[in-house]
Order: sequence, then structure tokens, then C-alpha cells
Amino acid sequence: MEVTTQMFDRTTVVRVIGSVDGLTAETLTGALQSHVDEGRINLVCDLSGVDYTSSAGLRALLGTLKAARQQGGDFRLAAVQPGVHRILELSGFTSILKLYGDVDAAVASFAD
Amino acid sequence: MTHEARITCPARRDNLGSLLRFITDACAKAELGEEDAMAVRVSVEELCENVITHGYKGREPGPLSIEFTGSPDRVVVAVEDRGVPFDPAQAPPADTTSDWKERPLGGLGWHLVHRLMDEVRYERIGDDGNRTTLVKRRFATT
Repeated sequence: MEVTTQMFDRTTVVRVIGSVDGLTAETLTGALQSHVDEGRINLVCDLSGVDYTSSAGLRALLGTLKAARQQGGDFRLAAVQPGVHRILELSGFTSILKLYGDVDAAVASFAD
Repeated sequence: MTHEARITCPARRDNLGSLLRFITDACAKAELGEEDAMAVRVSVEELCENVITHGYKGREPGPLSIEFTGSPDRVVVAVEDRGVPFDPAQAPPADTTSDWKERPLGGLGWHLVHRLMDEVRYERIGDDGNRTTLVKRRFATT
């Protein structure tokens, strides 16, 4: 799994490529948490390159959502692929996380 | 379409990568569709995670085996260990509906297994073994 970051004026985009599983979720959690810790609380996670997540990945996403919202920000997902979307849906995550079709739409949503 | 394989290793976290590669490879060799392969992989990861984290708590990790049988109409995966007895039917229900503030981190593993698989069977084997059998019917809708 690879994690890269792109900073915008009001938003930080974290792009993830690969599988989010019990081997990699901790790295993702650390990367996302470090942004929240440094005050970058308007976060977008670009999941266009993620084809797999287990519950370990869900824990990373939910932990980040809580941390960002508790500080007045938000954590939004972009370009969720069908397999991962199914896992999010079965877990009830689509009702608490905001999902966007692509990164541009997710970044633009923070301007609202 | 038909493929059989088995792996056994100590139930340690540093073996999770080998176990995940095994199940990914087995699904590919059985020519499982993308959606079904993901369902099987997620379910097997959740079972392995459970055995590695809880199965041998407080003692030296014992064996964890995965037996994969792919046939034209179904995939059957049996996960065995010699850890503490645990019947997945007894797993506490997952919270999938409460507000984000109340939503607990975790507790979704068994929920996903039950939702993604067509059958989940548990049996105690011998004096000290557990076998959890997962069945995924091909072309079935979950």
C-alpha cells in the first residue's frame, strides 16, 4: 500500500493505492492521524486506487472521521471502488461518511 | 474452476501476509469472480485476525490452517486452530446504525463474514480444536 498527500488551501487529499488490510491499516491510520494532529482537519481520502479493505481498514477510516469531526473538520471519501463500496455499505459506513465521485468533487464540497 | 490447497503456519501476526497471499492465490486459481474473491478474502482475513489476536492469548501461538476447496458451484474454506473455543454465532452483534459519535471502532469482523458468506459453520474438533467452515456459492447474490 502507498499513501501520498497533496495539500490545498483548505483541504488535504490523501491518496491511497493498494489493499487496506491487517498488514497495512496501521500505516494508513498513522498517516491520516498525523494530518489531524497537525490541524489539517478537512481531509479527503482518494480511494480510486484501493480495491480491497477488511474491517482493519474500516477502523482506520472511522477513527479518522471521529478525530476530524471532533475538531470541527470532516473526513470525506472520493472515488470509492465497487468492492470497497460494498464493504462500506454492509458495515453501515455509507450513512456516516460523505462519499464523492471524484477528488475534485470532494475537495469542492469543503468550499460549501 | 476446481482448485484445492492448504496452508498451515503458527498463528502469529508475521504470518498474516502469507495467509492473505494464500487465499488470494487460491481464489485466482479457482477462477472466482472479483466480487466473490473479495468476499472470501475479507472473510478469511477476519477469521485469521480473530485466531491470531484471541485464539492463543497468553500462550505460545499454535497452528492455524486454511483449507480451500473450489468447485464449479461453490467455494468452501475451512479455518482450523487449536486455540480457545469460539463459536462465531456467539459474536456480539455489530453496531451499523448509530451516529458517528457513538459508533465503536471495531466489532465489524464477524458481521462482515456473516453478510459476505452464504454459510458459516462452527464445530469443535477433538479436545482442543476449532473449525470454522465458510461456504460461498458461486453466482449467488449475498
